[in-house]
Amino acid sequence: MTAFALPAPRLVAADVLKLRRNRSLALVTGVLTVGAVAITVAVMELLHLANATKHGPAGGVQNLGHVAFLIAMLGTAAAAIVGSRAGAGDKDAGVYRDLVVTGRSRVSLYLSRIPAGIAFLLPFVAGAYVLEAVSAVVLAGSKPVPDMRLLVLTGLWTVLEVTFFYLLSVAVAALLGSRSYAIGVVLAFRLAITPIVASISALGIVRELMPGVAMQSLVPPGLGDAARQGPAIAMSTAAVAAVLLVWAVAAVALAGWRDVTRDA
Amino acid sequence: MQTTPISPYVVETEGLTKRFGARTVVRGVDLQVPRGSAFGYLGPNGAGKTTLIRMLLGLTPASAGRMKLLGLSVPQQRAAALARVGAIVEEPRFHGHLTGRENLRVVAAARGPEAAGRIDGALEQVGLTARSDDRVKTYSLGMRQRLGIARCLLADPELLILDEPMNGLDPAGIQEFRAFVRSFVADGRTIVLSSHLLDEIEKTCDHVAIVDGGTIVAQGSIDELRGDGHVVFVEVDDTHRARGVLAAHAAVERVIDDGEVLVVPVLDVLAVPDLNRRLVEAGIGVRRLELQQASLEQRFLEITTRLENAA
Repeated sequence: MTAFALPAPRLVAADVLKLRRNRSLALVTGVLTVGAVAITVAVMELLHLANATKHGPAGGVQNLGHVAFLIAMLGTAAAAIVGSRAGAGDKDAGVYRDLVVTGRSRVSLYLSRIPAGIAFLLPFVAGAYVLEAVSAVVLAGSKPVPDMRLLVLTGLWTVLEVTFFYLLSVAVAALLGSRSYAIGVVLAFRLAITPIVASISALGIVRELMPGVAMQSLVPPGLGDAARQGPAIAMSTAAVAAVLLVWAVAAVALAGWRDVTRDA
Repeated sequence: MQTTPISPYVVETEGLTKRFGARTVVRGVDLQVPRGSAFGYLGPNGAGKTTLIRMLLGLTPASAGRMKLLGLSVPQQRAAALARVGAIVEEPRFHGHLTGRENLRVVAAARGPEAAGRIDGALEQVGLTARSDDRVKTYSLGMRQRLGIARCLLADPELLILDEPMNGLDPAGIQEFRAFVRSFVADGRTIVLSSHLLDEIEKTCDHVAIVDGGTIVAQGSIDELRGDGHVVFVEVDDTHRARGVLAAHAAVERVIDDGEVLVVPVLDVLAVPDLNRRLVEAGIGVRRLELQQASLEQRFLEITTRLENAA
């Protein structure tokens, strides 16, 4: 790969600009991350204030797990939307060919979308998680308060889940050349296919090849089952890393190859 | 720094072919675009004009043949060649949610660092400075065409390749565009226009290639292609008999019945008085007998008719 193929900082900045200036994209991403957490915490706290015997406080370890799972799932939806926009936005707008005729390598054009989307998406996810972490501590009431280690591990898990599915979304969008198909494929894969496959115990070790299952095994044990989806499938850290790495590299490489070889 | 080899041609193709499955869209094209010319690539819709441009720009691979841009082989030296080429393929498209200036920033980012410094000048050159901070989705088609030209100018191009650039332009816009082409070529640069509009190519370009069915059927300067041929327009009271009289004359190539007018390409202008005399002697009333130099349009029709007859 030549230096010309590497994504120049100005190319990444241009891709961030395309995402940042899209008001509806920013609004949807904000609603699915910060907005969802704010509403959830507010509703839980209002219920607690209205009837403290029936509803516990909005904070504490268990609610940290519940809301972290919410961020991971809705963050995945946001990642699918942002990733598909980053991956196929130029093609959808019809400007991809105008970028190709600059002589800039297609690999470089493709790779620049990855850091650009992460730079756009992660502040929303981080903001949502910071809001939840503060709520979990401040609004814990009589419930156990999460310690700093648990807060950090939960935050890292949430960010990793969203980042991984962002990467997958960029790749699928570039592969299919269509935003809408990419969103459908990624959401179906994460929210429907993964839980179904994970629940079929007859599949045995095959289930561990699903990135969603691998992600679940990274849920901090301190959260208990609060952030768990489906059955607990124990995996070693090395196995988790291998599954996620293979998926990420294969998806990015396949989509990159398709992007470079197809007609622009 | 790579220097561009000096070549009299900015575009050279040899046996360039593009097939989609069993269908051949571009068939063995040998094209030579002289440096410093306004070159028209003229042909009807579906003749393979856009496909040829897409191959030159590396948007789709060629099935066979060789090509050079600015003396550099493509796709082997594509990046170096395209660094000094601006192009609009089909209609110019943009991110509608970005402003005109932001759209140029996006393309400037893909070009070298010096391209960003050309944004203001490019916007001014196409007269879009006042609207440059409006979102492109509010632009008219003509404004998008002008923004497309501005995008090309970011490359400080030696060669501009424009696909059907007159689409969507009003008469004033067409006049402005012709003036732009003249000033661009006057700087020693080259512009290639693909179009199906004969009249526009004739008014805007000095060289032309005529393409039909994926093949170049003629190329050269406009004057060469027009040749020194002349056409006589004849209006008479009996076109049926007049056709026979005119067709029998040795100086007449053929007689085209264009409804009310007979269009008669002639080999020798000195034969025109004799044509008139023969019509009168045959008792045919002559209302009009007008000699004109053959236009590119007549030449084009003549070439394509000849091809149809040959087929």
